Amino acid sequence: MLTLLTLLPLLGALLLTVVPRERTGLMLNLAFFTTGVVAVLGVALLTGFDAGTAAFQSTVDAAWFQLPGTDIEARFALGVDGLSILMVGLTAILMPLVLLSATSHVSHRMREFLVWMLVMETGMMGVFLATDLILFYVFWEVSLVPLYFILGIWGGDRRLYATVKFFLYTVAGSLVMLVGVLALIYGAGTTDITQLITHASTLPLATQSWIFLTFALAFSIKVPVLPFHTWLADAHTEAPTSGSVLLAGVLLKMGIYGLLRFGLQMFPAASVQWSWLFMALGAIGIVYGAFLAMAQKDLKRLVACSSVSHLGFCVLGLFALTQAGVRGSILQMVNHGLSTGLLFLLVGMIYERRHTRAIDQFGGLAASMPIFAFFLVFTVLSSVGLPGLNGFVGEYLILLGSFQASPLWATIGVTGVIFGAVYLLSATRRVLFGSITNEANREVSDLSLREVGLMVPLVLLCVWIGVRPTTFTDLTSKSIDQVCENLERAQVRLAASETTTPTQTAALAPKREL
Amino acid sequence: MNRESAHALFDAVFGGGQATLATLPILMVSAGVVILMLSDVIKPSALARKAIFAATLGAGFAACAKVLSDPPGLVLGDTFIATRATAVWGFLFLTGTGLAWVFSQGYYGRADSPHKTEHDLLLLIAPVGMMMMVGARDLIVFFIGLELLSIPLYALAAFRRSQAKSVEAGLKYFLLGAFSTGFFLYGSALLYASTGTLSLTELSAAAPSVLADPLALGGVALIAASLFFKISVFPFHLWVPDVYQGSPTPVTALMATGTKAAAFGFLVPASFLLPSSAAPLIAGIALITMALGNLGALVQSDLKRMLAYSAVAHAGTLLLVLAGTLTTGGPTGDATDAVLFYMAAYVFTAGGAFGLICVLEKGGEGATSLDRLRGLAQRKPGMAAALALFMLSLGGIPATGGFLGKWFVFSVLVNAEMIGVAIAGALLSVIALGYYLRVIVVIYMQESDGVAEDDIVLSPAGSGLATALCCAGVLLLGVAPQWFLSWLG
Repeated sequence: MLTLLTLLPLLGALLLTVVPRERTGLMLNLAFFTTGVVAVLGVALLTGFDAGTAAFQSTVDAAWFQLPGTDIEARFALGVDGLSILMVGLTAILMPLVLLSATSHVSHRMREFLVWMLVMETGMMGVFLATDLILFYVFWEVSLVPLYFILGIWGGDRRLYATVKFFLYTVAGSLVMLVGVLALIYGAGTTDITQLITHASTLPLATQSWIFLTFALAFSIKVPVLPFHTWLADAHTEAPTSGSVLLAGVLLKMGIYGLLRFGLQMFPAASVQWSWLFMALGAIGIVYGAFLAMAQKDLKRLVACSSVSHLGFCVLGLFALTQAGVRGSILQMVNHGLSTGLLFLLVGMIYERRHTRAIDQFGGLAASMPIFAFFLVFTVLSSVGLPGLNGFVGEYLILLGSFQASPLWATIGVTGVIFGAVYLLSATRRVLFGSITNEANREVSDLSLREVGLMVPLVLLCVWIGVRPTTFTDLTSKSIDQVCENLERAQVRLAASETTTPTQTAALAPKREL
Repeated sequence: MNRESAHALFDAVFGGGQATLATLPILMVSAGVVILMLSDVIKPSALARKAIFAATLGAGFAACAKVLSDPPGLVLGDTFIATRATAVWGFLFLTGTGLAWVFSQGYYGRADSPHKTEHDLLLLIAPVGMMMMVGARDLIVFFIGLELLSIPLYALAAFRRSQAKSVEAGLKYFLLGAFSTGFFLYGSALLYASTGTLSLTELSAAAPSVLADPLALGGVALIAASLFFKISVFPFHLWVPDVYQGSPTPVTALMATGTKAAAFGFLVPASFLLPSSAAPLIAGIALITMALGNLGALVQSDLKRMLAYSAVAHAGTLLLVLAGTLTTGGPTGDATDAVLFYMAAYVFTAGGAFGLICVLEKGGEGATSLDRLRGLAQRKPGMAAALALFMLSLGGIPATGGFLGKWFVFSVLVNAEMIGVAIAGALLSVIALGYYLRVIVVIYMQESDGVAEDDIVLSPAGSGLATALCCAGVLLLGVAPQWFLSWLG
């Protein structure tokens, strides 16, 4: 089943290349059919998931190739556990909706667009499902290529700049990570992620630390964590709506997922050692992203900057290294995918009508587009964390978890919630309410049935998570318990070694001060 | 001496039938060369000439496959070796030659075409030299291989006699190449003066104490300089852009893939000649080469010249393997495999990319400029996809052979615990992606602004097939490399 989830889109992409040029309808149907099947499989995987175990489930394992000069075997191995299940589900559900949204803004070179979308789905699924490190790395880098094309061909005016910047930023991180991957694999003599996790804890702390940092660099660029965030605003602004939704909904989450799987789970000791850095970067990112968002005049850029802020929450929660923090962080990955995805869809919809995204061009849209207004207000409320909707649960858990670890950074993080409300609500007010100042806004048509239809599933999920988050958090709890146990053990061990060799743990000093 | 002891002596030197088997690929291709040469007397039809060429390549492949299935090892008084690795090298050389030959069909203008037989003949001698170089266990044998490879390439570089650039390329390559072979001979002489032997087997037994003698060390340094010229690394890389650009493109393809491969095929097993203290120096040279190649390529607006600089950068990457083997104290299996795999991917990638340049060049002067490729994806989707794939493979993006090649090269470094060098190398290859991506930007993301619509024709049919073969090779090496790795044993 996991093989199908991963490779079916690729098969669809291959089939697409042989469809005759003029049969655009057939191409679209083929793409919808493929992603639809994958979505059904994804939901089936979610419902059939056994929440009682932390190990990988539904595993697939086949020989791939042997690394020369060694007896290490790279395998085509897939599996799903509590850390990845939600992201797999989100990806599967999001894809057909994204394709549906694309039918209105992608008008030329439809075949190529669909091919790249499907290849991207394979890449994203592969990243979340791979249980072999080489396979993971392959999918990780392969997933760059489709977005590079989608941005570069169907993007806005500065698309070439944005797409090359995006690619070079991410690939620089990936190549540094490659060195860490190689050191880990050849040191352990295996490529299996489960075995690597066991092996990694036996390494000396210094080795763990530098390998962790190479991984963390690549993932931090992808998230992006604070100093690396500049590619994101450009990429989001220039990307076509469908590209933005996928970027926000899934691709950035690959970074968080990476930090979780290859940071917290694989290198607990190094994560403890460096948690102060990531908590700080996360908390500063929350506030900094919010300030950036406040200053934006372009609606899409505003949403992009809000992404930086929201992902700061995910990083903060993760590196709080507490149960609540990690749990909230995973949930917030999904939440952010849903609400920011919705925001990008909504921005795309008014852009298609008005061909502008400048906030001051709007005003009073609520009168001419009541349905749009409803969805926008709903999404903004979900995004700022109104209790009863999804954003609240995630942010609450994260702040709770990080307060246990570090009251200082949690307090700074909390201010982000307030700032978030400030920029999102004021932007909403300026777009939707007041009197109509620009005559063009009077004639705008409201959302079509297709547009409403593609947002309804996402809206329902937002409410579901808000009202009954345990449906989803229960799926993740076993795996998180295990990760947190290892983290606690690492913390205890580090504290013990601190008393004996104070110099070795100098890096821990800032954490103690807090 | 009686008859039996004569036999025994013969067997001792020539290893029974093993010597024939070991040199079978060389013999087969050489026989083809002779037949082609003789056939010129009766002025064969173009078809007959092509048949002879193809049959020779086929016989060469079969002979290499025979060696691969049952490698004879050291033969001919320990001067030549035939292993699984040399057999796979043979495959690569023959593939590179075959690609160059296919793409040369219809490449030359009317002014150069009377010499088709000479062209094919020279092209066919080159792989003989290459196979001799990688199998050589004696410096003189290596030297003969080197000359067999170099002399045809000097002539081929100047083959478009009607074009000043081609003649310039031939002359430059010849003058500098003659210097480098001179270095090699002088170095060998010094080494012989110091040690009294030219056999690598004996030298490796005596190493590293051999290098205590400054005379021997000087000799080794000269030999290394000569080889560095052939693989085009800093500071001996300056000839590359001009020669690669001026030479006929099929010949450039062979230089980029074959010459470099043959020199590396010898260099890695012979690395014991270098003192292990040279590792930081070699690593430095490799990194500088990568930087210069990549930065040089970054500013090019012509695809052919860009690939020439990129070839320099790839040589630098491969040289990292040598630094790794020196640190671990001697060549290990995975170093040889890494070089072989990297070059295999490179033969298909660069072979295909230069092949497509051959196709482009039929458009006349300036036909290989990047501007001409604008919007190629709309006009020629197949060709655009192939070119994009080659660029991704050169840049080392996964699902291509180039990625796994890079993986294996860096794994050698990591195993030698040269983490800093590995990270520096990784970051330098990010620069490379800057220009590879630019090609994709031009062909996929820019609109063609009114340039002649269909002036790019993928012809003759052979070019299309060869391009498809290269794409298949690149993808197979990237996605399912086990078939190739199992050859390495």
